[in-house]
Formats: sequence, C-alpha cells, structure tokens
Amino acid sequence: MARENSAEKNSPSIRNPSLAALLSLLVPGLGQILSGRRERGVSILLTTVVLLALVAWLKFWDLAPLILPFWLYNAWDARQLVLGRRVNTTLLVLLAALLTYSVGWRVTEIDVTQFVEGAPKIRPFVSGLLRPNYLTREIEYGEAKSPVEVPCSDNPPPLSPGPELPRITLDRPCANPGEPLEVFGEGFPPNIKGELWWENTIGDQSRLRVGREFVDFQTDDQGRFQAQIVVPQVTNENPQTHYVEARYVTHVGPLTVSETTYLVVQRMGETIAQALMATTLGALLAVFFSFPAARNLMAFHPVAILLYYVTRGMLNILRAIEPLIMAIVFVVWVGLGPFAGVLALTVHSIAALGKLYSEAIESIEPGPIEAITATGANRIQVIWFAVLPQVWPPFIAFTVYRWDINVRMSTIIGFVGGGGIGFLLQQWIRLTDFRSAGAAIWAIALVVTVLDFLSREVRRRVV
Amino acid sequence: MSGRGARSLGSTAFPIPFTHTRQTQPAPQRQDRSNVLQIRNLTKIYEDGTVALHDISFEVKDGEFLVIIGLSGSGKSTLLRCINRLIEPTSGQVIWDDVDITAANQGELRRIRRQIGMIFQHFNLVKRLPVLTNVLTGRLGYVSTWRSILGRWPREDRERAFRNLELVGIAEKAYNRADELSGGQQQRVGIARALMQEPRLLLADEPVASLDPATSHSVMKYIEQLNREMGVTVLCSLHFLSLARTYATRIIALKAGEIVFDGDPLDIDDRRFKEIYGEEAVEVEIR
Repeated sequence: MARENSAEKNSPSIRNPSLAALLSLLVPGLGQILSGRRERGVSILLTTVVLLALVAWLKFWDLAPLILPFWLYNAWDARQLVLGRRVNTTLLVLLAALLTYSVGWRVTEIDVTQFVEGAPKIRPFVSGLLRPNYLTREIEYGEAKSPVEVPCSDNPPPLSPGPELPRITLDRPCANPGEPLEVFGEGFPPNIKGELWWENTIGDQSRLRVGREFVDFQTDDQGRFQAQIVVPQVTNENPQTHYVEARYVTHVGPLTVSETTYLVVQRMGETIAQALMATTLGALLAVFFSFPAARNLMAFHPVAILLYYVTRGMLNILRAIEPLIMAIVFVVWVGLGPFAGVLALTVHSIAALGKLYSEAIESIEPGPIEAITATGANRIQVIWFAVLPQVWPPFIAFTVYRWDINVRMSTIIGFVGGGGIGFLLQQWIRLTDFRSAGAAIWAIALVVTVLDFLSREVRRRVV
Repeated sequence: MSGRGARSLGSTAFPIPFTHTRQTQPAPQRQDRSNVLQIRNLTKIYEDGTVALHDISFEVKDGEFLVIIGLSGSGKSTLLRCINRLIEPTSGQVIWDDVDITAANQGELRRIRRQIGMIFQHFNLVKRLPVLTNVLTGRLGYVSTWRSILGRWPREDRERAFRNLELVGIAEKAYNRADELSGGQQQRVGIARALMQEPRLLLADEPVASLDPATSHSVMKYIEQLNREMGVTVLCSLHFLSLARTYATRIIALKAGEIVFDGDPLDIDDRRFKEIYGEEAVEVEIR
C-alpha cells in the first residue's frame, strides 16, 4: 500500500536501474529519492549520515568500514526498486544495525575476556554467600613461647621446656641472626593453623617471616607441629634472651547465634517497618489524591478537570523519580537513618498507588451508582454503598503489592544511608565481611519471597 | 437495549446527577390535579448533539401499567431516567403528583426519588455486598446517613427487607453475596430493593432484557403483582412486543426520540409494528 502511494506521489525522474544504483553508491538514498521513493531514500540517507557522524564523533575510525555492507546493499536496493522488484527491507535494517551495535559494544566497553578471567575474583564473595555466619562458636586464643639466646654466647642457658601444655621447643638454645631454627610444638589443639611470632628483649613483637612469607604452622591429629623459622636481625651484639611465640585461635564450645544474626534480624525488622510505614502513609495520601485523579469523578466541571490534570501530572512526575534519588535528597534533609528511607518510599508510594487507585475508580461500574442514587440516597451514601464496595478490593490488592515492592526497595535505599538492612549489607561488603553480607542477602531473599507469597495470597482472596 | 442510558453513563460523566449545577428555577408549585404523572415537552440533547428525546408529552394515570417499546436508541432509557432525573432533561417538565420534579432542588429531588422505585436491565446490584444489604439500600432515602453507614438499620426496615425477599421468593439467599445469584434471582433482589422504597411509581428499564424467556415471565409477573395488588404505577420499557402485549395496560412506542404510538396494546397491528420497528422487522414471540 505505502509503496504504491508514495510511488504515485513522487513521480520518478529516473528509470534506469544502473543509474539509480550508481547514484545511491555515490550518495546513499539518492537513487531511491530520484526514482520516486523519497521517504525510503531520505531514511537511508539520514541513517548513513547519523552512523558516520557517530563514528567520527567517537573517533572509532576502525569501525567505519562496517557501514560498507549497508552502503552497497542500498545501491542494490535502488536498482531493484527501479526494476520494480521486491526488496528485503529487513536486511537493510539489519545491515544498519551492524554498525550501530558495533559502536554500542565499544561504548559500553563490553569485554568478554574480562568477564571470564575476572570470575575467580568473586570467589570470596560467593564463598561468603554459601557460608552465611548465622551461627558461631566462641573464640579462644592460645599461645606458647620459648626463650632463645641471640646471638649465641659461649655458655648459652640450657633448653628447659616447661611441663605445661601447649609448649614449643627449639632445636638449640641459641642462634645467630639469619640462621634457620627448628620449632617443635606439642599439646596444641589438633588440626589448627597458627602463627609464629618473635618477641625481642624489650617486648616488641613481630610476625616471623621466611623471605616474604609469614611463617604459619599447622598441627597434626595429635596437636603437634614442626616449623622452621629464620632468626631476625637484632640490634644488640651482646647475647640476650628473645622469645619465639606460637599463637593460635580456636573455636570452642557449642554453636551459638551470632552477632550478625542479631543485627540482620534487627535491621530486617527495621526494613519491614520502614516499608510498612511508607506503604501506610503512602496509601492514605494516595487515596486522598486518587479521587481528583479519577477522570470519571472530575468530568462534571471545567475547574475539576483542571484539578484532574494537575493531580495526574504531579503523580506522573513523582513516579518518574526513582526512590533511590529521593532517598539521597531526604538523607540530606532529615539525616542518615530509616526515617529518610520512609520518606523516600512514601513519596514514591503516593505516586504509584495514586495512579493505580485512580484507575480502579475510573473502572468501576456505573450501574450500582445509578441504582443507589435512584433510591434517594445522598452523595455520602452513594459513595459508601456504591463506590467503596467496588474500589476497596483493588485498593487492598494494590496496597499489599506495594508493601512487597517497598520491602525490596528499602533494602536498596539502605545503600545510600536510608537505614534498614541495606545499610548493614553495604557496610559488610565494604569491609569484605562476605559471610555477614551473605547472611544479610539470604535474609532479604527469604523475607521478599515470603512477602511475595503472602501478598499474592491476599490479592487472590480479595479480588 | 439501554443504548441511550449507556451513552450517558459512559466515559464522560460520573452518573450522580446531583453534581450538575442547575439554574435556579421556581420552587415546585401545585399543578392541576388530573393525572399522576405528566411529561410535558420533554427534550434531551446529549453533549455530542444526539437528540435522544424530542418534545415528548404524555400523561400516566394512577395504577397504569405503561410499557414503552422501541428499538435500541429510540430513547426509552433516557425517558425513564429523565423522570427521576438520573439524566437531566435539556428542557421540558416532569410533573408528578402536582410537583414539578424538573424544578426540585437536591433535597427535594432526593425526597421525590425515594418514592420512585427503579429496576434495571443489568440489575445494578452492588455485587460484593450481601443480598440483604442490597435490599436495605432501598431505604437509604429514609434513613440517616450515619445510621446507614454504620449499618444500624432500623428494626422495622430489616423486617421489611426479609418480608420483601420472601415476597420475591429468595429469603434464603439473604446473606449470600449478590453476585452469587443467578440473573433472575438478582433481578428479584432488584425488585425487593425497589419495594423497600414503598414506591408509588416504578420505573423499569428493560427489566428482562438480560434474562431467558422463562425467567422473563416470572420477573414480569412480580412487577404485574406490584401493579395489581399494591397499586403501584409502572413505567416499563421492553424490547419484545409480545411481552408488552401480555402485561401492558397501555403502550407507548418511541422512534428516534418521538412518540409514534400511544394506545391500547391490541391496537398495534402489522402496519403499526412496521412503523415502530422498521420494514425488515419480524415479530418474535416470547412465551
């Protein structure tokens, strides 16, 4: 249809297919324009200009040849048009898309290599996610030390390992700086890791290294270990007593609910409460705004229609602003904390619910209103008996759904300081405490799933 | 069908007629007492320019069963709704019992409306409310706002509601939600609701158009009962001439907003039928 119409409108001035192709080869679209297909030709010309301008502006000169398939096919297209044959417009669009997507690929810095190679970097995060620390055991610190004379004197004090466990024993009572020294440990908890430290004459402590690596030990099933250290440099050339120290940390006692769990539960409660307050406040105000935003209620007078447009416009603008942005504003306004989040979510809820409520009002059946009016009821009675019974089920359904959404949103709003569990999650991620972050993420997933289920059930029942 | 009515209730206006600002008119005045209901030069032109009623005049005597017939869009629904001003007439008067309804203010209009029962093609029950509450809404014009909203209906109204439900044979459904009932049952609830008003006039807008033939007759019989036994004047629009012939004491036929026939049901012969319904129409019997 369109083709015949445009062919009638613009009388073709060239009828030679080769000439049309040549013209389009020189200036894309020109052949089409001159053979009477102005709209198509102009589209091709504009596409070419825009694509080339994009390439030039971004200086992606190496991508420029990708326009060639489009350019060549455009010439073919001009020829086929003059011959009156069908041409594949889809292919023309796809060829134009080739360069567009190439530019898009580069602008967004898509990097498949990085995507694959970077994957191992998130291992600590994933392992934290898989081992959320809801439960923990008490930590016990333990240590054992042994004296050593540095540098060796002519008459070093004898090795005298004490009777109490755990204890460490050295292979000789004295050593010179830079010399290796064997350390034996016994009576330690089995199968644990520990660190070896050096304590000098004035009590300064430093972790021992061999080369650049820290010296750690690992006990066996009997709680014994053997490790080699290198005696560090000392400042005093006179023989003095230093100490080698073995330290370890063990988890003891029964599993108990961790501090993380308490925090997660507390902040999750804050998040749910935030969503509850925001949804309730938002819903009340949305009811107030939904009546002037309902076209069928406002059609009776020009001033009312004006009010309708103002309310609608206001709701639309508010709805366009993401709650995250509002949260940033309210954090400045009322300070960090859940209140800022409540305000941000409230404003967004008013806009979202106001629109949904007003649409529910607009879609009510006029019949019952007519019937109740005909009984001689007054306006309040008409609204009570004919309007409200029709609108409360969708109102409740929308509100419960909004609460569900608000819980999800409030987790995000915590990231910008709006309180709730998002605030904690963000801190734990920054502190690289991924096990706690994992605990928070699982809690969010659980609460969102449960609320989603509940809100679906409530909606199913009221509608 | 309710072509005109549907138009007026559509997207443009919320059909609570007392939102309309009416120009001040003289207070209701006593007219000559010869007839119960007088329609004088009634004209309704909708905002889009459609002339739904054009200079209609007729009188309805006490106790008549007047059936209004005509094609869809002939103005039947508009006419009925102009009588209780669910639709504001453009010009003309409706005088009932010597009171000019068209000149009544909001308070007066509500007091007039509560004496005029109305039933509808689509029943217009509040679907989510129980049958009993739907019936009780017929008393809204008599009960104070707060009592009705708090559900503290007077005891005699509750008793009356049950009596009326018994009268239409569905007392056992009193506590069901209205939308659980069949079409015929819903229309009987509609009749019970209208009866709560103790109406002296009943407007019935295509009361059986959504019902099957058997149910249609049962509903029409209830309306006939009101007319014969309680002396309620009935104005009823109908689609089928056969139904109109069975129940009407008098028939008015509308065509394009004008009266093309007014008289005895038996006087509608083949020629008149074609005048009303058009040349191609064939009469369908509903038994």
